[in-house]
Amino acid sequence: MAENILVVGGGPAGLNAAVMLSELGVNVTLVERDSFIGGNPKKFKYKFLFPDMQPADNVIGELIKKTESGGNIKVYYSSEVSDFKENGKKFDATIKSAGGSETKTFDSVIVATGFEHFDPARDAKYSYQLFDDVIDIKDLERMMGENNFVRPSNGQPPKNVAFILCVGSRDRHIGNQYCSRVCCTISVKQAIELKEHFPDCEVYIFYMDIRTYGFFEDLYWQAMEEHDVQIVKGRIAEITSGPNNTVVCKGEDTLLRGPFEIPFDMVVLASGMEGGPQSPEISSKLGIELDEHGFLKPENITLSPFKSNKAGIFLAGACTGPKAISDSITEGAAAAMNAYTYAVKNR
Amino acid sequence: MEYDENGVSIVPSGFKREIFEEARKDFRYEEYVRGCLNCGVCTGGCPPHRFFDFSPRIVLQNMKSKDPELIWTMMDEYIWACFQCFTCAMICPFLNSPGGIIAVLREIAVRRGFESAKKVLKPYSRVLLKLTAYGNQLSPDMIQPDFFPDWGPHIGYAATDLAAKRKAIPMPTLQVTNLSWDVAPEAMKELYDIFDEAGVFKIIEAVDPSLYEIIQDIVDDVRSS
Ligand SMILES: Cc1cc2nc3c(=O)[nH]c(=O)nc-3n(C[C@H](O)[C@H](O)[C@H](O)COP(=O)(O)OP(=O)(O)OC[C@H]3O[C@@H](n4cnc5c(N)ncnc54)[C@H](O)[C@@H]3O)c2cc1C
Ligand code: SF4
Ligand code: SF4
Ligand code: SF4
Repeated sequence: MAENILVVGGGPAGLNAAVMLSELGVNVTLVERDSFIGGNPKKFKYKFLFPDMQPADNVIGELIKKTESGGNIKVYYSSEVSDFKENGKKFDATIKSAGGSETKTFDSVIVATGFEHFDPARDAKYSYQLFDDVIDIKDLERMMGENNFVRPSNGQPPKNVAFILCVGSRDRHIGNQYCSRVCCTISVKQAIELKEHFPDCEVYIFYMDIRTYGFFEDLYWQAMEEHDVQIVKGRIAEITSGPNNTVVCKGEDTLLRGPFEIPFDMVVLASGMEGGPQSPEISSKLGIELDEHGFLKPENITLSPFKSNKAGIFLAGACTGPKAISDSITEGAAAAMNAYTYAVKNR
Repeated sequence: MEYDENGVSIVPSGFKREIFEEARKDFRYEEYVRGCLNCGVCTGGCPPHRFFDFSPRIVLQNMKSKDPELIWTMMDEYIWACFQCFTCAMICPFLNSPGGIIAVLREIAVRRGFESAKKVLKPYSRVLLKLTAYGNQLSPDMIQPDFFPDWGPHIGYAATDLAAKRKAIPMPTLQVTNLSWDVAPEAMKELYDIFDEAGVFKIIEAVDPSLYEIIQDIVDDVRSS
């Protein structure tokens, strides 16, 4: 008899786990909160992915196709795990969707509930929502995905654009002390995309540290060398309205100019990643641990980053902390392997 | 005191270390000086930064360096450029308070009667006198063009015929011009006790000995009345 495994969350991590399990002949139940699968990359229409700028469809589209065509994956859209109980070494879960509620017994569970984008309106100094031309990286990702590169306020091409890093990350006032890991690389990637679209547009990046770790550094060098993106060390203290429908960034250039106030046509905030409301929710529903950053806590962050503290429940992707798609996919595979082993052992 | 060939006093490094240790021992130090990302957001929000070569980020970096030389360089002018508005503390992602540590350094300068503190407090001697001796801050006779140029072009007019102008105010104003309101001798005695306990008189003695004498004469008079 085939194993039954529950996967919660249909982003890159959950989809890859589901696909791998289905290839092993497991009956997979995939519970997805949204009416579509593909996670944040699908929701915000990511078009080209770092590090190699390949079309997102190569990755996300591919995973969605495999999930939908893999015969033994049952996807529940717009659904949730409404009830969850341990049953010996197995688990009884009730899945609530538009089609009603269904209770099934699972041999093991993979949680891949992902992240939420930090809402920049929570940090008043950036005037997000106050000015149309102050947007964030997820807004720009979606705009570019829809082939829309122009200023929200007037539909004109921007003459200059500022990226502000570490919005909602590395800030005790906000309550997020951690680094979101991907926002430096996303900003550099988007800066390059903007320059490719509008070669005459001046693009600035205001940073505290540039963390394009590992091979992502290539994009950072490319941004400076090939696209003349201006990289300025200093965090922005305030965004106000300026002359001629501009927004003014005020800050300190800590290396060169000292104080500055520069009017921009468009400002892009590099909002970070958060555990979102789903992390504490799933933590209390399944009885697994939450960490001090608001993400799900692995049993051992180095030895078994894909295991929860509860035997039989595994973790994958950005639900355990900020990470890139490749890491999320790797963890999806690792969690699948472990969930399968657990299921087979307790057959 | 030793002097160099230009007649500038040489401050021994041991003394500079003592100043730093005094700041570090302050009970607020740990709270005000944590880590620093060198991000400059404090400086970006700092009002005087736009007018002077002054940066709260530098203040915090100097403190973090634990280098008594660097900290000493701020004691003369640097710390006095701050408005004490605490914008820096409100926006620092590390929850540092550059404005707070500046207050700690200023208190050291005042307690020790440094020249810089004397210079900065000089224009306030009349305020200090009124405040410590009578419990009033500003009185009408203090409104003089020389002292309040920032009050605008009509300050000259405002300073004339004070007695007549006071009478024109429909509220009871004592009809005097050398005080804002009457303070009972009992209240003044209590005030003096508080100033004694809090070390306020000691501080005034350190920064302005002649003002201190004038105040003490008044204090003695009131106390013996
Ligand atoms: C603007 C931006 C651009 C990025 N660009 C890149 C890039 O170019 N390259 C790259 O490698 N990485 C990129 N990333 C990182 C990438 O988005 C993440 O690594 C990836 O989305 C994580 O996948 P995930 O499956 O763990 O989580 P998610 O993508 O967040 O998916 C989680 C899924 O779980 C669902 N879910 C949540 N809670 C529940 C619940 N309780 N019940 C049921 N379902 C639930 C959600 O609806 C969602 O579908 C980018 C990130 C941002 C913010
Ligand atoms: S990845 Fe870069 S922008 Fe994002 S939090 Fe880390 S340092 Fe800041
Ligand atoms: S408290 Fe001082 S250092 Fe801080 S912002 Fe205000 S003026 Fe600047
Ligand atoms: S805001 Fe805080 S962390 Fe940033 S430079 Fe100023 S003191 Fe340092």
